[in-house]
Amino acid sequence: MDSLFVLRERFQELYARNSKIIDKAVQFVVALTAFYLINKNVGFMKLASSPAVILALAVICTFFPMLMTIIAASVLILAHMYAVSLAALGVTAVIFLIMYIFYFRITPKMALVVLLTPMAFAFKIPCVIPIAYALISAPSAIVAVGCGAIVYYMMEYVKKAAAGMKGSDAAGLMGQVSAYAKTVFQNKEMWVAIAACIICFLVVYTVRRQSVNHAWKIAVIAGAVVNIIIITAGDMYFGLNSQFGSLIIGGAAGIVVGLIMELFLFSVDYSRSERFEYEDDEYHYYVKAVPKLSVSTPEKTVKRINGHRETEIIDAAEVRKRSRKQGRNPQIKEGAPSRSHDMDEVEKMLLTQSLKQDLNLK
Amino acid sequence: MLDERKVRLMTSLAMYEQGQGKEDFKVSEYYRKDYTGMHILFSIFWTTVGYACIAGLVVLAGLKYFMENMSVKLFVTIGIAAVVGYLAVVIIYAVITSHIYNKKHKDARQRVKRYNHNLTKLLKMYEKENK
Repeated sequence: MDSLFVLRERFQELYARNSKIIDKAVQFVVALTAFYLINKNVGFMKLASSPAVILALAVICTFFPMLMTIIAASVLILAHMYAVSLAALGVTAVIFLIMYIFYFRITPKMALVVLLTPMAFAFKIPCVIPIAYALISAPSAIVAVGCGAIVYYMMEYVKKAAAGMKGSDAAGLMGQVSAYAKTVFQNKEMWVAIAACIICFLVVYTVRRQSVNHAWKIAVIAGAVVNIIIITAGDMYFGLNSQFGSLIIGGAAGIVVGLIMELFLFSVDYSRSERFEYEDDEYHYYVKAVPKLSVSTPEKTVKRINGHRETEIIDAAEVRKRSRKQGRNPQIKEGAPSRSHDMDEVEKMLLTQSLKQDLNLK
Repeated sequence: MLDERKVRLMTSLAMYEQGQGKEDFKVSEYYRKDYTGMHILFSIFWTTVGYACIAGLVVLAGLKYFMENMSVKLFVTIGIAAVVGYLAVVIIYAVITSHIYNKKHKDARQRVKRYNHNLTKLLKMYEKENK
């Protein structure tokens, strides 16, 4: 266990040294993955779906704040929708507008959740996002998780129904708009997934704020279990044919991510927790104090048994100055001629010297 | 000779000016009531647009049902539900907006006060130096 904490310290040190580079690298990876997944699922516009375009877009987004990546992803989705049909573009744009008006206008920082949630759904680990955000943020993030789920299922629908959506006459367009809006909002699988995410979030958020020992661990495990139970129940009730293998893997991934987050953000030593009880004029206090865990990273000391001497750096200007002085003062005595040693003798002398130093011998 | 305290103070002032300060200075130009009121008006406008979008989508999604079962009674019921829903959404969003922007203004004012305090401190340091 100690080695884990040492590893954490090393990671934190590494991050502190190179935070700018690491942040930008993460941003680049997130942008590239998001654009790749968009193109893989709804890449109907050939120009926008080429690898060179998404790579260039990801590089450009890396140099701007995260909000730029979210805007670029939205524009990319809308471009692909336009390639499918005007109806798909219209409905998708209206749904994005509604999300912006009712939520992201007030809390723009939460827009990242809408980018990460469909990515988690695409990797079959949707449980990770509600667990992670319930550990670090307020319940208002639930709305963002729900919006992310809607975006994912919207893309899923267009991916499946794109072939039937092509047609440009007015009656056809109205039919497409109606079918798209109806399918998006009457998708039972989507509503079950949203309900599972919301309840999972609330369970994790409520449990992790309790003063019980190992609250974060209990919260993470309970959240993952609840998520699996709700999706299974929804599946049985509505007959949705969910894949239980990926559901369990998703739950396990959520637990792993939660435990990693606990290691970095909430490591306390419950064995040394203390309880106090006292009162003032108005209240009676029951306080539980849990000390934080801090492990100092062991410093490596290298002991040289046969260390090489440092090469003396000769200042050329100084040497020239001295030689000039020597030329002016011929009375300076010349030193005794240096003895010539063979290499074995020098090695022996150095070894004896360093051993004397190490063993403090005079 | 560099004065470490002065350098620290100036660094924190510059960091604030170039980061959070930019927005805080704009916010603190308004009185709290004016600032909150302005954002409530914006919120009502945007909520109306958003509500119209949702209503449009709902109508489109249920177009077939509405066409098949259209009657005066259904029309009136939907109309009343739409108006009540609109009022409820607008009121809820106005309350949320008022709460959020009140807090935002309060926090911004506090930060600007701290910034002014630090600025005065720096000025005093310069005055002391010049004496």
